[in-house]
Amino acid sequence: MLVTSDLQPELSQSSVRTTMAEGGEEESEVFEITDFTTASEWERFVARIEEVINEWKLANLAPGPPLLKGELSTGEWEDRSEVVTFADVRFGMTLHRLKEKQQVQTPGDMEEEDCQPQAIQDLLAMENDFPPRAHCLCRWFGVRSFVVLAPGGHSDSIQSESKASLLLSSISIAVNNTGCSVPVFVQTQQKWRRMYQGVCEGGGLRTNYDMVHLKRIPPQYDHLAGLLDVFKSKIACPLPALPPVTVSVRFTYILSDWTQSAWTQEPPDFDIPYGGNVGGAEFGKLPFGALEDPVSELHLSTTWPCLSEEMIVDNSVYSDLDPLQAPQWSVRVRMTDNPQCLLGDYLSEFVKICHSLESTDQLLGGLVLDDDDKDPSRDVSAALQRLTEPSPLPLPTISDVVSNMKTRTKFRRKEAPIGGELLNMILQFLFPDAALEGFPRAEKPSTEQGGEKQDTAEYKETYRQYKSSPEGSLVYQLALCMCVVNSNHGGLRAVAHLWQEFVLEMRYRWENNYSIPGLPEGSPDMSACLLLQKLQMLNCCIQRKTAREARMKEAANQQASAAAAVQDKPARGSTSAGSDGWDVEDSDEEFFECETEMEMETEENIASNSDADSAQNNTLPKGKVASNSQPSNDRTNMHKSESAVSFKDTVTSQPEGRLKQCGDLCLLDSSEPLYIPITQEPGPMTEDMLEQHAEVLAKLGTSAEGAHLRARMQSACLLSDMEAFKAANPACKLEDFVRWYSPRDWIEEPLTDETGQRVLKGELSPRMRIPGNMWCEVWDSARPVPARKQKRLFDDTKEAEKVLHFLAALRPAQVALQLTPMLVHAAILRVEEEGETSPPALATMLAQIQARASKVLRAPNMDAQKCEDLMELVRQVTLVETVIARARSLRAKFNTEKARSDDGAQELERFVSSLLEQPEVKVIGAGRGPAGTVIHKLFATAQKAAHSFDDDDHSPSEHRAELDSCPDFPRPAGREYILRTTVPRPCPVSRPCPQRMFCTLIKEDFRLAGAFTSDTTFM
Amino acid sequence: MDDDVLTTLKILIIGESGVGKSSLLLRFTDDTFDPEIAATIGVDFKVKTLTVDGNKAKLAIWDTAGQERFRTLTPSYYRGAQGVILVYDVSSRNSFNRLEQWLSELETFSTKQDIVKMLVGNKIDKDKKEVDRNEGLKFARKHQMLFIEASAKTREGVQCAFEELVEKIIQTPGLWESDSQPKGVSLTDTGSAAVNSCAGYCSLV
Ligand SMILES: Nc1nc2c(ncn2[C@@H]2O[C@H](COP(=O)(O)OP(=O)(O)OP(=O)(O)O)[C@@H](O)[C@H]2O)c(=O)[nH]1
Ligand SMILES: [Mg+2]
Repeated sequence: MLVTSDLQPELSQSSVRTTMAEGGEEESEVFEITDFTTASEWERFVARIEEVINEWKLANLAPGPPLLKGELSTGEWEDRSEVVTFADVRFGMTLHRLKEKQQVQTPGDMEEEDCQPQAIQDLLAMENDFPPRAHCLCRWFGVRSFVVLAPGGHSDSIQSESKASLLLSSISIAVNNTGCSVPVFVQTQQKWRRMYQGVCEGGGLRTNYDMVHLKRIPPQYDHLAGLLDVFKSKIACPLPALPPVTVSVRFTYILSDWTQSAWTQEPPDFDIPYGGNVGGAEFGKLPFGALEDPVSELHLSTTWPCLSEEMIVDNSVYSDLDPLQAPQWSVRVRMTDNPQCLLGDYLSEFVKICHSLESTDQLLGGLVLDDDDKDPSRDVSAALQRLTEPSPLPLPTISDVVSNMKTRTKFRRKEAPIGGELLNMILQFLFPDAALEGFPRAEKPSTEQGGEKQDTAEYKETYRQYKSSPEGSLVYQLALCMCVVNSNHGGLRAVAHLWQEFVLEMRYRWENNYSIPGLPEGSPDMSACLLLQKLQMLNCCIQRKTAREARMKEAANQQASAAAAVQDKPARGSTSAGSDGWDVEDSDEEFFECETEMEMETEENIASNSDADSAQNNTLPKGKVASNSQPSNDRTNMHKSESAVSFKDTVTSQPEGRLKQCGDLCLLDSSEPLYIPITQEPGPMTEDMLEQHAEVLAKLGTSAEGAHLRARMQSACLLSDMEAFKAANPACKLEDFVRWYSPRDWIEEPLTDETGQRVLKGELSPRMRIPGNMWCEVWDSARPVPARKQKRLFDDTKEAEKVLHFLAALRPAQVALQLTPMLVHAAILRVEEEGETSPPALATMLAQIQARASKVLRAPNMDAQKCEDLMELVRQVTLVETVIARARSLRAKFNTEKARSDDGAQELERFVSSLLEQPEVKVIGAGRGPAGTVIHKLFATAQKAAHSFDDDDHSPSEHRAELDSCPDFPRPAGREYILRTTVPRPCPVSRPCPQRMFCTLIKEDFRLAGAFTSDTTFM
Repeated sequence: MDDDVLTTLKILIIGESGVGKSSLLLRFTDDTFDPEIAATIGVDFKVKTLTVDGNKAKLAIWDTAGQERFRTLTPSYYRGAQGVILVYDVSSRNSFNRLEQWLSELETFSTKQDIVKMLVGNKIDKDKKEVDRNEGLKFARKHQMLFIEASAKTREGVQCAFEELVEKIIQTPGLWESDSQPKGVSLTDTGSAAVNSCAGYCSLV
């Protein structure tokens, strides 16, 4: 007997009924106390199951409307779980329920006994046969709502027959007692075997669900004929002639040999762009694509949805079931698990090194011949340096910079991670302004690289969004090089090596006044990454240093030639800004001064071209850093000793450092025009400097003294401006300064004077008049010193050294972390560059990656969490890359390109796109549609290939014949049959009851899942 | 002490010199008006804890100098601010005319994407009025800002301005709370349907 586990729950159940609810009917009017104090474990178990069934309101449910086609797969399922215990064994009790589309079912409104449970009615419904995606119980029994009782632990299982039958009787009783109209199953045997038995009862019918599972297909049941025999014998029809059985069949064929259409996408060529043979420009690109076919198998399911057993023959010798003739085809593809994808690999390898703790020394230690890095004093000075004031704050300087002059690293060539030729190529790629060997360098404007696309707002947003660096800028390119070098040329050591070279190049450029190429012009851009800001800062330093040194040189030249060119003096004097004859004063120094001013003025105009402010604000042009390297002369010293009050009287002192007249304003106490002085530029700042500043300022607290101190700390710039103003306007007073500097604090009112004339009378605003306010205080302490003789507000030497130290002190892992924004940015651009629009979900995925990247990269933390977030990002990028690779693979396999001219092209494209997004895709037109034709060909080709391979020893003619006769399709890998009928059971006068058996025939898995219904009314 | 503080918010006050930024802040933090407050040099800083909708927020408020010359320095402090109060003086047409420039500077230097902006027309206690309320409203609408007229001197509207701003910041997702990562749509299932034994295609393989 094949069907072994016939447990006859009827028997056990009736016996229980008598023990539990003895005489229930007769006593129903009597007030009943349920006493569980003496109940057995088993009784408590049953009671608990009943409790859960009631809690879930599963009793007496009215059937819902018939399911729509495919609703079991497409609909939304909900699960509920409870724990029930039997003695000390835990069971999970889970309700799986398809959410109703239209709510018609209200619990308890169906009291009539007659109503057949939904599950029993659904046994005969054919709209949801072979659902592409469903719980196996749905697939086997067509149920839309069911409860499963399964052993709690993963390894727990119900092995023994007696335990299984005890469980089954328990649920039978519970179902019966509660009137539960949803089928309840128990899972027996090892979980992987998916063995279920169950029961559903209601409306005078009971369905018993039972199952057989074998490792091998018994030969007598290897076809429809045999299965029909089992089905019929199991039904044991009491009628002389069984009504005809309806059959649904699905055969599934697997294609895993793609022969002709094997993975064709050319694997990105490592050796050429990254191996060092071709131009270094190739370094600026990340690789993309899968290295192996991301599509592994195609499963074709051919379905005959509704056949009468009389119409078809399917037995051991012959079968009518030719896949080409099947009315329905559907396809699913198996994808390769985690196919190797280049972009994803490169990214994840790079993010991985962000965890490393090794220092450059540890990595390259033995290789570096000169090692003044190890000088301990260097670190100390750096630490002190960090404590000292960032430029505009007049905090005391604790230590001077230890100037650490270095030449480029000398490696013992052979041991270097990156070979000399390759290294040169990379450096040339990064610094295209430098000749290969570095000498002589072409000094040229440095911004082309970083500046190309800068104009478009969208472009600007992109790098701001990721707090990265403009596409194509030096930092961006460096990130790409580092990534390639990490993957192809020695991992972290290579990164350490390249970084070391990079830092040395930075120092070289600082020391030799070569500005750094490929950086956006101007002050550090705080919406970009810190590394870019640091390099911009260095560039600012280089530019100021260069200008300063050029001025000094020119000044020296002019001083030397001045004496020789005394005759020119008047002419030059008249071209200077002053028209009042002041400049004509005869002094060599004054002459020199005038020249310097003019030179600075033009320079200023050039420098401020990029500065939007200067256009709208011509009252306050920016000055230029003046050199402080010239020792102040005697006259300045004299001024120093003078008090500000007495200064007013020294009208005879010479004006210095004038930029231009301030409109037609004149000094209040004299008729002299009011001059705007040349002023110092406050220093640029990077975000970390700013943060330190802000912190220091905030620490001063919110008290009045704190506020005062804060103002004082920030008054350096004000003091410098006041001093410059005094130098340019020897007869000035605070009111004059305010009129230029803060015009809103100079209040003018029309008055009528003694002579009856209306004049404007001005005075300082109340807030400026407060005795002892900061402005007066600073004014009083200001000496007349022109900007060029003042202490520099921005010490470019010191700031440059700080940047260089910052760069040199980064561990390779930190370098990598600093570079990740650019890399993620580049990866996103790389994916976009592929221009894939299919499947449509790609766009959503990409948008999610962008949003996530924006969040992760802008978050200020630089810790382990960040690395994890980055890894997750990389995984998402890899997924997109994989999906694109899948799309391409499928397109190649289905030859969508070649079919372009046909109508079929569009259909194929749609088909491919569906395959990527849906678990199973219907083939329109089955074997005769455009996709069907291609699939047929794919199978036929694979078959031919397989046969020609097998039959090597046959003669050619035999072989030909063999090939011709070989079927286009292999044997189906799986066959599924659903057999249905309606039969009165158990006796001829019983009502006709739905019967169903689902059969799965796979090579190593044979399963019969039967649902047999009988009428309980006349038992 | 700050245990129940939900979050620390960075707020910025900007606008032309003399429009009353420091006075507004002083009114908000200390509830006083000091006509002798000095013109701000660089930036000033005050802290205040505020409860909005039952959420306690600590405000770190940076008051910047409106003075032209300090403007090369102050924008650095725009970084990381979640809210900004842009002030003009209703008795000064010029201070109103310069608002566009302030906004574009803010655009350039702020780093948060959804920074909440509030426009405050200050000094409404004054008789001389050069900017009509409607003009302020129009400007605010155009630039998607909150708007209020206020007086640091009479305290009118001051508290309200700060509260509204903070409320709006708290309501703006992603501006202040720790980032909750959105879950991506998963296409992985398509690839390996057979992994989940019962949900997928379980009759084969
Ligand atoms: N009538 C009146 N005067 C005010 C009001 N608010 C501020 N003021 C006055 O306006 C002048 C400038 O105020 P501040 O608060 O210093 O202006 P500010 O915007 O901070 O100026 P800066 O620091 O230079 O940018 C002071 O004299 C204040 O007394 C107000 O609401 N009404
Ligand atoms: Mg102020």
